[in-house]
Amino acid sequence: MKVIINFLKGLKTTSRATRMIIFLLVINLAFSMILAVPMFHSLKNSFGSSLVGERMAEGFDYLWWEEYRDDAQGLEQTFSPSIIGKGAILNNLEGLIQVRVFDLPPIVLVFGLLYVILHTFLAGGILSTLKKPNLHFSMKKFFSGAGSQFFRFMLLMFFSWIFFLIIGQVVKGGFDSILESIRDTAFSEVTPFYFGLIFSAIVLFLFLFIQMVFDYGRIKVVLEDSSNVLKSAAGAFGFVLRHLGSTLGLFFLLFLVQIIFTLIFILIQGIIPQSSFMGVVMAFFCQQIFIFGLIWIRCWLYSSQMELYRYLK
Amino acid sequence: MPKKISGSVLISLLFLAVFLVSSDEPFCKQVANYNMNVVLDTERKMISGEEFLTWTNDTEYPTDELWFHLYWNAFKNNMSTFLTESSRRGRSPKGFRMEDWGYCRVESIRLIDEDNFREIDLSPTMAFQQPDNENTYDQTTFLVKLPKPVEPGETIELHIEFLSKIPRPISRTGVYKKNYFIAQWFPKIGVFENGEWNCHQFHTPGEFFADYGTYDVKITLPSSMIVGATGEHREITDNGDGTSTHQFFQHSVHDFAWTASPHLIEIKEDYEFAPGKTTEITLLLQPYHKHLEKRYMIAVKNAIKYCSQFYGDYPYTTATCVDPGYNSRSGGMEYPTFFTGGTYFITRKRDDSPEGVTIHEFGHGYFYGMVGTNEFENAWMDEGFTSFLDSEVYYAAYENPLYTRRYFGIPLSFNEVEIPIESDGISSHRQTWNIDNMQRYAWKFLDGGSYGANSYAKGELMLRTLKRYLGKGSFAGMIKSYSQRWWFRHPKPQDFYDVVSEFADQDMSWFLDQFVYGSGKMDYAIGSISSKRPTQHQGWFNGEFRNGQTTEQESQTFFTEVLVRRLGEVKIPVEVLVIFDDGSEIRENWDGQYRWKKFLYSGPHRVAKAVVDPEFKLVIDVDRTNNSMTSKPNKIAPYKWTSRWLTWLQHAMEFFTIFGG
Repeated sequence: MKVIINFLKGLKTTSRATRMIIFLLVINLAFSMILAVPMFHSLKNSFGSSLVGERMAEGFDYLWWEEYRDDAQGLEQTFSPSIIGKGAILNNLEGLIQVRVFDLPPIVLVFGLLYVILHTFLAGGILSTLKKPNLHFSMKKFFSGAGSQFFRFMLLMFFSWIFFLIIGQVVKGGFDSILESIRDTAFSEVTPFYFGLIFSAIVLFLFLFIQMVFDYGRIKVVLEDSSNVLKSAAGAFGFVLRHLGSTLGLFFLLFLVQIIFTLIFILIQGIIPQSSFMGVVMAFFCQQIFIFGLIWIRCWLYSSQMELYRYLK
Repeated sequence: MPKKISGSVLISLLFLAVFLVSSDEPFCKQVANYNMNVVLDTERKMISGEEFLTWTNDTEYPTDELWFHLYWNAFKNNMSTFLTESSRRGRSPKGFRMEDWGYCRVESIRLIDEDNFREIDLSPTMAFQQPDNENTYDQTTFLVKLPKPVEPGETIELHIEFLSKIPRPISRTGVYKKNYFIAQWFPKIGVFENGEWNCHQFHTPGEFFADYGTYDVKITLPSSMIVGATGEHREITDNGDGTSTHQFFQHSVHDFAWTASPHLIEIKEDYEFAPGKTTEITLLLQPYHKHLEKRYMIAVKNAIKYCSQFYGDYPYTTATCVDPGYNSRSGGMEYPTFFTGGTYFITRKRDDSPEGVTIHEFGHGYFYGMVGTNEFENAWMDEGFTSFLDSEVYYAAYENPLYTRRYFGIPLSFNEVEIPIESDGISSHRQTWNIDNMQRYAWKFLDGGSYGANSYAKGELMLRTLKRYLGKGSFAGMIKSYSQRWWFRHPKPQDFYDVVSEFADQDMSWFLDQFVYGSGKMDYAIGSISSKRPTQHQGWFNGEFRNGQTTEQESQTFFTEVLVRRLGEVKIPVEVLVIFDDGSEIRENWDGQYRWKKFLYSGPHRVAKAVVDPEFKLVIDVDRTNNSMTSKPNKIAPYKWTSRWLTWLQHAMEFFTIFGG
C-alpha cells in the first residue's frame, strides 16, 4: 500500500513539473544534436546524388548500409539497421548489461560522459524542484538547486562508480568466467543460454539496485541538506535495506511503467510511414514524446522515491 | 490363398530389382576402393581398423611409391602444420590433457601379392613427408616404397592396420559428450596424376582431394549408438555382446565419414525430387533441435531439388544430414552424401538458420563431391562454387532473409531490412580485394580473412557476375554442363574456362583472368550529369553576325553530358541508362576499357538520372552507391535516418544517466 500511495503521490507531483520536463527534453535534444548534425552530414554525403536516397526514403537499402559500414569511422560506426524500433532500446540495454558500452566509438563515449556529468548537475535542480510542497518551476530556482548540489552529487557519482565498476568488472567478469566454463562442458547451447539470461538479469538488477541506492543518497542530500556525502550514501544504503520491499517495489513498479511505455512507443513508431517529410516530422515528434515520457518517468521515480523517503522517515 | 502376381506388379518388381542392382553400379572408374572393418572403443576413445585398399594406377606413368594422408596426426601435437596455422588464426587447443590429443597410427601396411599368396610388408619403408613446408613435426602425410613399380592401368591391393585415438574436437572431427563425429580418420591414399603424387599435408584451410572409389565399411560399436555415415546403411548385425556392426556401402565417392551418438534422433524420409528420382534423406538431430526437424528436412529437400535442377540430378540414393553436437566443432562440414548442418535452438522464420549452412554443405556434394576439384590448390572452385550454389538455391526456395541480430542470445529479426542476394560476399571482398589473387594454394593466402574472402566470397561474386553477364539461360546451360561434364573427375581452372568460353561463344579468359589471377577491384561510377542551355552565339556564323541572341530552337535545347568512370582495374563492358525529365530513356553500351567516357546529348529535356549497370549485372562492383546519379537527390532520406538514429542516441543519453543522476 505504501508503494502505491507514494507512487501516486509522485505521479501528482510530477504532473505539475511539465515545464521542467520539457526543459530537460530540450537539453537532451540539444546535446544529442551536437552528434546528430555530423551524422546527418555523413548520411547526406553517403547518399550523395545517388538513387540510394530514394531507396532509403522508402525503406532500408541493405546494400548501401554494408558499404557505409565497411568504410565507417567514429560516430558512423553506430549506424546500423539495429537502431530501428526495438533495436534502439535493446542495443542500449545490452550495452549496459554486457558492459559493451566501451565498444562505442570514443566520440560517443566522451559525449556520453559529458552528458552524465551534465545530468548530475541537472539532477540537483530536478530534486530541488520536486522537493517543494507547492511545486513551481522556475529556471532560477532550478539552476540554484543544481548549482548548490552539483559537487555533492559529483562526489556521489564517483562513489557510485566504484560499485558500478565492481558489478561491471568483478561480478560480470565472474559470471563470464562461469559462463565460459559452462559453455566448455555443456551438452547443448540451451544450458549456457539460460545461465546467460540469469546472469544478465542479475547484473541488470545490481545496476538498478545501485542506481536506486544512490537515488536515495541524492534525495537524502537534498532533503537533509547534508554536506557529508559519504554519510548520506551509507544512510541511503541503510534506508534501502531497512525498507527493501517498499523501495524495490516502488522502483520496479516504475521500471514496469517504463517498459510498457517503451513497448507502446515501438508499436506506434512502427506504423508511422516515413517516406514523406510529413511522416518524418511526425515520427520525430513521436520520438520526442517518447524521450519526454522517459524523462517524465525518471522524474516520477525521483518524486515517488522522495515521497516514500519522507513517508518512511 | 496366394494371389497371382499381376503383369504390372511383375514389371514393377523387375524395375525395382534393376534399380537395386544399378545402385551398386559405379558412376565412374573406381580408382581407390576401401573395404574396412573398424571397431570403436568408447572407453578409450580409440578406433582400431583394418583396411583393404584396392588402388589402380589410372595414369600413363608408373610409380614405385604410394603416398597417404594421415589427417588425424594434425591433432597429435601443437606443432603440426594444421595447429600452427590455426594458432596464427587465434585458434589453439585450449587446456588439452594427454587423453585429448588425437592421432592415426599405421600399425602395418602390406602389399597383397595374390600370385604368390603372401603379403609383403611395406612398413619398414614408411616415411613421413612434408611436401608443403619444412615442418618435420607434421606427420599428416607419409609414403611407402613398393618392391616394384605399379604400371599404368595396373591394380594393387594393400592390407593396412591402423589404430586411431579420437581427438577432443579442435576442428571438424572428434568426440564430445558421446557425440562422435569421425571424419578424415583413416589412412587415405593421395592422388597420383601426371606422374607425381598430389598429397598435401593437412592445413587449416583446404582439406580435400582424392580419387573416386567404392567404400564398404563395417563399423562395430555399442548397440545403443545411432549411426550415420556416407552411403547406404546396408546392414546392422547384433553381435550379442552389447555391440552391433553397421555396414555402409557407397561407390563413386572419394571419402567416407561417419557419426555415432546415443543422443541422436534419426528421421528418415524418401524424397522424390524429380519424376521417378528418389533419394532417402536421413536427418540425425540433436534432441535439443528436435523442434527444427521440419526446417532441416525442407532445407535438405530444397537443396536436392534445386541442385538437381541447376547442376544435374542428384545421383546417389542417400543424403544424410547431421545436426552437429554442441562443442563438436563439426558444424558446416561436407563429405560425400553425408554432411553437417548447424543451428541454434532459437531461430527466426526468416533467419537463414539452419537452411543456409545445410544447403551449402549439401551443395558441396556437387562442387567437391561429384565435381572433384582439388580444394588444396583451387579452393575457389570448391568453396566459391558452393557459396554461389547455396545462395542461388536459398533465394530460389525462400523469401529474402531478414537482418537478424541476437540480444542476450535471442535472435530478433528486423522486418524493414531484407538482405538481397547481391549482399552475399561483397563486404568481405570489398575489404580484401587487393590482398591476394583468388587462385592460390589454400594455405598460402595472407591470412584466414583473405582465404575466406577469395575462396568463398570472390568466387561466388565472380560467378554471379558471370551469370548476369552471360544471361540466365546461357549461364544455366554452362554451369550444368560444367558440373555434369566434370562429375567424378578432377577439373582444373582451365577446364572451367573452356566450358564458359564454349557457352559464351568466345574466349572468356579476358573476363575470368581478371578475377581468378588478378587482384584488382571493379568499380564503375557515374562521375557527373549535367544539362545546360547552349552557349549564346556571338560573332559571325555563316555570314550572319550574332550578338548573343538564340534561335527559338536553340532556346529550347539542352546540352546534356553524362560522365561515366571506371575507378577500378577490372574492365568489363557495361550498360549505361540515361533518363530524361520527361521519362524518356536512352541505353548505351560502353566497352569500359578507358578510364572514362562521356555521353553527350542535345534535346528539349534535361537529364534526370543516369545509372551505370542498371540491370545490376556487375555484382562484384565494390561501390554500388556511385553507380547512379540523379539531378534531384532525395532530401528526405538523411533526415529520416538521422531522426531514427537520434532516437537511439537520445535514449542512450537518458538511459546511461544511471551512472550519474
